[in-house]
Amino acid sequence: MSFVSLRNVYKSYGAVDVIHGVNLEIEAGEFIVFVGPSGCGKSTLMRMVAGLEEITKGEIHIGGRVVNDLPPRDRDIAMVFQDYALYPNKTVFQNMAFGLQLRKTPAEEMRRRVAEAAETLQITHLLERLPKALSGGQRQRVAMGRAIVREPKVFLFDEPLSNLDALLRNQVRAEIKKLHKRTKGTIIYVTHDQVEAMTLADRIVVLRAGHIIQVGTPDEIYHHPLHRFVAEFTGSPPMNLIDAKVEAVEDGVAVVAEGVAPVRLPPHLAIDAQPYIGREVMFGIRPENLHLADCNTAPRWPTLSLRVDLVEPMGAENLIHFTFGKGDLIGRFGTSVRPTEGTNLNVAFDPAHFHLFDKKSEQSIGTVLPTPQTHDAARTACADPAA
Amino acid sequence: MSAQSDVRRTPYILLSPAIIATLVVVFYPMLQAGITSLYRSILWKPKDVAFIGLDNYFAILHDPVFWDSLGRTAIWIGLTVPLQLALGFVTALLLNRNFWWRPLARSLILIPWALPSVVIGLMWSWIYHPQVGVLNDLLMRCGMLQSAMPWLANPDTALYAIIAALVWQGFPFFAIMILAGLQTIPGNLYEAASIDGATTWQKFLGITLPGLKGVLVTAVMLRIIWVANSMDVIYVMTGGGPGYATHTLPLYAFKRTYSSMDFGYGSALAVTFSLVLLVLITIYLRRVGKDMK
Repeated sequence: MSFVSLRNVYKSYGAVDVIHGVNLEIEAGEFIVFVGPSGCGKSTLMRMVAGLEEITKGEIHIGGRVVNDLPPRDRDIAMVFQDYALYPNKTVFQNMAFGLQLRKTPAEEMRRRVAEAAETLQITHLLERLPKALSGGQRQRVAMGRAIVREPKVFLFDEPLSNLDALLRNQVRAEIKKLHKRTKGTIIYVTHDQVEAMTLADRIVVLRAGHIIQVGTPDEIYHHPLHRFVAEFTGSPPMNLIDAKVEAVEDGVAVVAEGVAPVRLPPHLAIDAQPYIGREVMFGIRPENLHLADCNTAPRWPTLSLRVDLVEPMGAENLIHFTFGKGDLIGRFGTSVRPTEGTNLNVAFDPAHFHLFDKKSEQSIGTVLPTPQTHDAARTACADPAA
Repeated sequence: MSAQSDVRRTPYILLSPAIIATLVVVFYPMLQAGITSLYRSILWKPKDVAFIGLDNYFAILHDPVFWDSLGRTAIWIGLTVPLQLALGFVTALLLNRNFWWRPLARSLILIPWALPSVVIGLMWSWIYHPQVGVLNDLLMRCGMLQSAMPWLANPDTALYAIIAALVWQGFPFFAIMILAGLQTIPGNLYEAASIDGATTWQKFLGITLPGLKGVLVTAVMLRIIWVANSMDVIYVMTGGGPGYATHTLPLYAFKRTYSSMDFGYGSALAVTFSLVLLVLITIYLRRVGKDMK
């Protein structure tokens, strides 16, 4: 029995369906991140867990109890809002203590818990201030403090970092992760930022248009995207996706993009791509899986001479844009690789990291991972570190 | 002339029309009233005009009608403003909910506020009318009254009858101000409070009231001043009668000045009442608005 479970959850506003039958099992102590573009339903889904939105159909369980008809206060959850929602007329202490006060916690214990949380978040010196006298980062901490003192079953974070500047965001992100390691609380965290999702999550839930597209560890999501959307949504820059045709060649199977020499598929993919021979697919490869063809690259790796369009120096690395047939291909290279724009470069493709996606269903071809919709299978995948 | 001194003078030049207008139409009459109050100045005794210093003010202290009117003004403000506030608050909370005819309700609620006081006065005089008034008719049909009650002719009920009319006229002001205030309170504060475990009443006390504090302090202050000074409804409904039963201080000052033509004494009454109101408002702002910036 998992700690939080969403079973066939639907949400409609009138005739408009926004969540289409979501199934998800969350273990105690897990850090789950809902990620997806705006309008994908991630916030709605979380607000349904919180009790701020009604559930149109399906069931939500928290700690073994069906909470569908329970008001938020009886669900034993705490939430950190995007714009913090601090009570403007209450001091930091009163903001943090409010929930405890309403639950008739003895004054002594209340003071102790607020003091502990304030200590953890390093806001002890702010306790007597009003929210308007705090900076954005400080308000964010107070909002987290208000959640922590309650010691709830589940913490809900609704894009808590999106109002902070880039530097502060990285800092607070690391603190949230440390906090989770220390408190071992169950966290559901909503963000549209894939970097936040990758760095924080035990498991990521990728949503699009009210459907779960994939559930998996950050590694699974990044290295084994089950859907073209996941491939494009993760990584910066995201995975290169090229329109190509699967063709049989003399010693196996290859993908052929228009105007480019055939790229031979590795044996494991060749088998799965058999049914696609003669059909259009999307060929995917991440920028870091392009290499400069030299003595370090395996001789069996497909190698092509590609024209350099643009070099973007990023400091620690160089992003190089190549012409690839009719399209564009981005590679991530070390700073020593800095070709002149307009020249050609010999690029080796690491076949271990090839991806193929069905053009119509956009599902991955040949990636061996359980489907995300079945909870048991998803859990097995999670428990298996090799997956 | 240097460009710099031009820049320095421009604001004053631009402000001067407003300042001059205010000086002429507000400050000059105030000053004039202050000066007049120091004279014996009865319009039909032009030969008897004389400077008498503070004698008018000493006379006020011994004028029983002044003290009665002051007491009635206190009842007038003390009942009208809180009742308008309470009614306006409830209305605003109702209008802040979602229902399909809300836009219509919002416009309807403004009607009493938009009507001229004279119309209100006449309308309520008819409602209270002993022979044809709808109030007596309703109360008698319900069996709450045996015979028609002359609400405005009875010294015991006249003041309260007018207060009821004024409450009806003024509550939309509070309703609209409070509604505007309610809409500035972020919805996620209520959501945060729901999650913290607050009941509807605790949310009202913890979020709604503090969130409305600024609006309430300002609206109550404005209403105190307006209600205190408003005498048009009284004038239309009873003219201050029966006897002195519905005399408030501004009405008394007005009648002494224009009915008795006693400009000196009337001005002294007006100045006295202005000072009383000034003190009242100062105390109010000190106490209620002390932590507002």
